[in-house]
Amino acid sequence: MRAFLAMLALAAAAPAHAQLDIGRLLDLGKKAVEVAPQIQQATKEYTVEEEVALGEGIATGFLGAVRLHGDERLQRYVNRVGRWLASQTERPDLPWAFGVIDTDTINAFAMPGGTVIVSHGLVKRLTSESELAGVLGHEIAHVLKKHQLSAIQSDAGWSAAATGAKAIAADRIGRSGDVLGLKSQLANAGVDLVKDGLFLRPLDRGMEYEADRLGVVVAARGGYDPYGFVAVLTMLAQVKPDESGASITFSTHPSPADRLAELEKAMPALEKYANQPQVEGRFRQTVGAK
Amino acid sequence: MFRCLPIALLVAALSLIGDASAQEAAATNRATDLKDRPSADARTIAPLAADAPVKVLARQGAWTQVEAGAQRGWVRAFHLRFQSTVETSSGGGGGITSFFGFGARQAPTTSKVATLGIRGLTPDDFKNASPDPAALKKLQSWRADKASAERFAREAKLAPVAVAYTGGGS
Repeated sequence: MRAFLAMLALAAAAPAHAQLDIGRLLDLGKKAVEVAPQIQQATKEYTVEEEVALGEGIATGFLGAVRLHGDERLQRYVNRVGRWLASQTERPDLPWAFGVIDTDTINAFAMPGGTVIVSHGLVKRLTSESELAGVLGHEIAHVLKKHQLSAIQSDAGWSAAATGAKAIAADRIGRSGDVLGLKSQLANAGVDLVKDGLFLRPLDRGMEYEADRLGVVVAARGGYDPYGFVAVLTMLAQVKPDESGASITFSTHPSPADRLAELEKAMPALEKYANQPQVEGRFRQTVGAK
Repeated sequence: MFRCLPIALLVAALSLIGDASAQEAAATNRATDLKDRPSADARTIAPLAADAPVKVLARQGAWTQVEAGAQRGWVRAFHLRFQSTVETSSGGGGGITSFFGFGARQAPTTSKVATLGIRGLTPDDFKNASPDPAALKKLQSWRADKASAERFAREAKLAPVAVAYTGGGS
């Protein structure tokens, strides 16, 4: 099954060359106006490379506003948990990267292509690795299902902006080089997505519920107690919106109570994994250590 | 005399722990059973009515240990709701639900635009920030490869399990 999925991924990646050629045409200095319809076509189906480039652009813009946490041990720890979980999914070969941002707010973000960000405010409120696995599982699920990508693509403003941004970016790169050090026009467009606030808009509620439902399965596949995520939602249900900037989570997600009610429907199938490890010791050692 | 002091400290510490857990107030969200162990097969200590106030003591998988009146036992985690000033944001005609009679302070989220009224982070921060490719490179330098992630999992006795995705037509 895994091999079959990997083949599918390869097949999906194959048309990349055709679309990269469009990029080369742009770099050759062809007028943006002439190729605009082609770009618009290209935004409909992103290749894996384009998805990654867009996500890296978003991450670059995002990290311009929010600092990474300085605890490298914690950063590597979160990357190991995340990479282990991602390896259990149908997209094990994305360039998965996980980062903790230095803010007391409670939130987590997934960028297209496998960059996942969690806030230190969230991490320090967790009590076990299985809870962290639940959070990362949710974000990984967004990437698996390309939720952000479809939200971006379905936004009428973005479609127009993407075409424009890509054309402008292409033109800029063509004339003065890639000022941001981002090779792809899509990466540059990703930066603009953050600046415009488009990336921070809430996803469809159905997408959040789906990510909850798939995320607990990803955690269970990794060998963790999937109820870790139930504990996280329970914790979120008790946080006051004005406490430590929790409002960002509540303004971009359905309420924790609604999410718990939805998740309850999926959990009976996972109850037999409830006795899998929570891994509290290693979590406390790493997160507790400053 | 010398032995008394550490014991007094221990008692003080234990009472602090007790206070901390006692703060976690919850209520049943439906009629349910108080069990003597965290298991569906366990003996029922007492039936609990819907909206019965409880204190949360501990969590274990699908079960939460609670104190209900003078009795201690386990109830299903999903059979509890928690005190909070967060109201449901359900747009499906449900309106605002206020737990425990707390005032409705937050309007249902109907707008598609996130309000980022959070401490130290505003939409302007994103608008005015310069993209930081170096920070992304740093983040990427912390990546774990598949093999090291596997070793890391084994260290905690985590074994991969084949689990199918559930429901929702996904």
